[in-house]
Amino acid sequence: MDRVVITGLGWVTPMGHSIDAVWKRLLNGESGIARTTLFDASQFPTTFSAEIKSDYRLEDFCPDLSKHQGVGRNTRFALGACAQAWKGAGLDAAKLDLDRVGIYLGSGEGSLDFDAYSGAALASWAEGATSMDSVKWAQVAAEFMNPTRELEQEPNMPLSHLALLTGARGPALNCLTACAASTQAIGEATEILRRGDADVMIGGGAHSMIHPFGVTGFNRLTALSTLNEDPVRASRPFDAQRGGFVLGEGAGMVILETLEHAQQRGANILSEVVGYGSTADAYRITDQDPQGMGAIVAMQEALKDANLGAADIHYINAHGTGTRENDGNETVAIKAVFGDRAKQVPISSIKSMMGHLIAAAGAVELITCVLAIRDNMLPPTTNLDHPDPECDLDYVPNKARSARVDAAMSNSFGFGGQNDTIIVKRFAR
Amino acid sequence: MNSMRRVVVTGIGIVSPLGIGARTHWENLIGGKVAVRRIAAFDPGGFPSQIAGEVPAFKITDFVPKSYRKATKVMARDIELAVVAADDAFKDANIQSRAYTDKPSIPAGRFGCNIGAGLISAELNELTAAMHVAREGNKLDLKKWGQDGMGQLTPLWLLKYLPNMLACHVTIVHELKGPSNTITCADASSHLAIGEAFRTIQRGKADLAICGGAESKVNPMGLMRQCLVKRVNTESNESPERAVRPFDSGAAGTCIGEGGGLLILEEYESAKNRGAKIYAELVGFGASQDTHNITDPSPTGHSYGSAIRKAMTEAKVSPAGVGCLVPHGLGIASHDRAEIAGLRLALGDALEKVPLAPIKAQIGNLAAGCGVDAATAVLSLHSGAIPPAVNSNKSSSIERLNMQPTARETKFDVAITSVYSLGGQNAALVFRRV
Repeated sequence: MDRVVITGLGWVTPMGHSIDAVWKRLLNGESGIARTTLFDASQFPTTFSAEIKSDYRLEDFCPDLSKHQGVGRNTRFALGACAQAWKGAGLDAAKLDLDRVGIYLGSGEGSLDFDAYSGAALASWAEGATSMDSVKWAQVAAEFMNPTRELEQEPNMPLSHLALLTGARGPALNCLTACAASTQAIGEATEILRRGDADVMIGGGAHSMIHPFGVTGFNRLTALSTLNEDPVRASRPFDAQRGGFVLGEGAGMVILETLEHAQQRGANILSEVVGYGSTADAYRITDQDPQGMGAIVAMQEALKDANLGAADIHYINAHGTGTRENDGNETVAIKAVFGDRAKQVPISSIKSMMGHLIAAAGAVELITCVLAIRDNMLPPTTNLDHPDPECDLDYVPNKARSARVDAAMSNSFGFGGQNDTIIVKRFAR
Repeated sequence: MNSMRRVVVTGIGIVSPLGIGARTHWENLIGGKVAVRRIAAFDPGGFPSQIAGEVPAFKITDFVPKSYRKATKVMARDIELAVVAADDAFKDANIQSRAYTDKPSIPAGRFGCNIGAGLISAELNELTAAMHVAREGNKLDLKKWGQDGMGQLTPLWLLKYLPNMLACHVTIVHELKGPSNTITCADASSHLAIGEAFRTIQRGKADLAICGGAESKVNPMGLMRQCLVKRVNTESNESPERAVRPFDSGAAGTCIGEGGGLLILEEYESAKNRGAKIYAELVGFGASQDTHNITDPSPTGHSYGSAIRKAMTEAKVSPAGVGCLVPHGLGIASHDRAEIAGLRLALGDALEKVPLAPIKAQIGNLAAGCGVDAATAVLSLHSGAIPPAVNSNKSSSIERLNMQPTARETKFDVAITSVYSLGGQNAALVFRRV
């Protein structure tokens, strides 16, 4: 079985869009969360989010946008993150067997064309009606809707655009397992390399749900923080006063290669992917299994796959959403897996600073693990001011910490009970 | 490394426009019945294309345990189709899952799930009724929406439309706790999901998996999106049974459809030990990506052909040994030509000899539900019959293809099914008689 290494990183996040600038801000405990500007959310239960800021210009990363006209928000993020990772890895399409370069993303659906959608619907709904006049709707919708903007909502579009950007013609897949998607994508991309079906895989994800119906959906589920008076303090993973997650958006991409391929081309190896575990709770669509069984087995499977014991893990990047349920259950699960070591292993959630990137969250969090190993630095969990007796582990509260990190674990758990864990390790021949 | 683990198909579940249940689908398919008709789910009068392959009426509560009936309220149509197909597959495989017994016969942790899904459309009536509360003329006033509008929606509204909910409901109903995934690559979703589940069992992470996909585009948004990208036939609203004409010189566009096709894959020894009925062995999987443009397959067929070739190489199958191929066969002229180019690259001169079964003429394009195509390939191999190509009378002038307007009985050993997506993902699966 081929060993798999990471040779390139790229992200577009609410805290910036270069690897080192964002990493520095994470270590400083800064925040990318502010009042929502993408639409008028002033009367929504939640009025803030973690948006990609307006200084992100796709042209800075992809000078030739001729093949990417009219792309949606998530594709814009995916392209920028991929271009960074590809360049950082020193890949040159002319020197690659492109039939053996694949892509596995965990990208979300594109943002709805809100004005066209709501406009067509309302124009075909008469006062006192109980159902849509579909004949009228068809006529209005055909006029209002733009083919490209509709197509860009398909969840495979970021994937397809990355293929046009890089020329990759190998195995290409997109999985959409809610908040676990990009962790799962990188895990599955690793498996494709291990079994020899490709030499190089682009893995990661992109997502934006910061649009009226996305926020509506999460607000109705009461999953979002409503601390409107203080957005920067709103994402409070593991804190006793946590009250929900903060919706973010963005993309994270990594270049994965077989060790052999990376060495042959003299690539700079950033980390090795050594373990992947994936399970389903099969519990409820609305809640996680309170015993954390699915999460426990995902972590155990990843450790087994990595041939590592609990004592070998020096850092856990938690799913840590800041919801009452997740953080308690994740703590229970970590204790079950790590036993006596649970209190010694540092855990943090960068969602405290950049919010929850949903399908893209796992990818940016795995990149964080790679950087933690590179620099032997742990990013903090900010806003952790009130210890919760249920969450009594070391969450690296509020201040970054210097610590030897040779192996790190990244957890992602999705709505509906999807659990995925990846372990990365300092590369050693 | 468990590369020697063999994987077989031990259960088939189908919900298709031709019927609910694999048996009904198969009998109607072989009988040449066409289920493409004028849309009944809503009045399609204002749309350029007004036809679809619609699944016959069913009651979702008939397909879940009593204790789960309440949860059916948060199932979009796509989710229902997956749940019904899963019930059919479990019963066919004779597996006593949690849905049927308190003492399941298979360990939950060794059972995986990978169900492909599409972009699920929110139910327009429900959403517009809520929007109506917050309207300002024909615009939605977001201030009013925040205050009064959104509260009209059920709290679990979002969960109806997350693509991974197909797999989530199925894993909960049947208690499957192994690796679970949801591939969302449009028409290629099902085949990729089956291929990935195959790998999961091969590498020893699971002993069984339910896999495939389900989708419904039979709703105003689903149909409108296909009309906007100009893939659907707009000339045959008066003669729907003749509308979809794969590889025919009169091909004038595809039509939307709905359905779900799921396979139960099982590690060979495990299947033998429990005395399972074995339909076929899954022996090859190939995946690839086009880099032509977003909306059209490459006219060279390079990547489509390479996906099929990879699957055949893994299966150690020669072109002449292929007994039936269920292609994507959309009935869009330029797409069909590109597909033939790809098939030519994979099969060479044997292309003219390999029997093709382009079934979309009878059911429409089920998109992420093209697991029905994969399941059809398995049934074809297992029952020794090649489904008809009912509307492919005048073969395209570029190639002579082996298609017949009626079903053919013939025993053969290898069946292939291949698909491509809008967006350029390609996938192929090879099944062999055990």
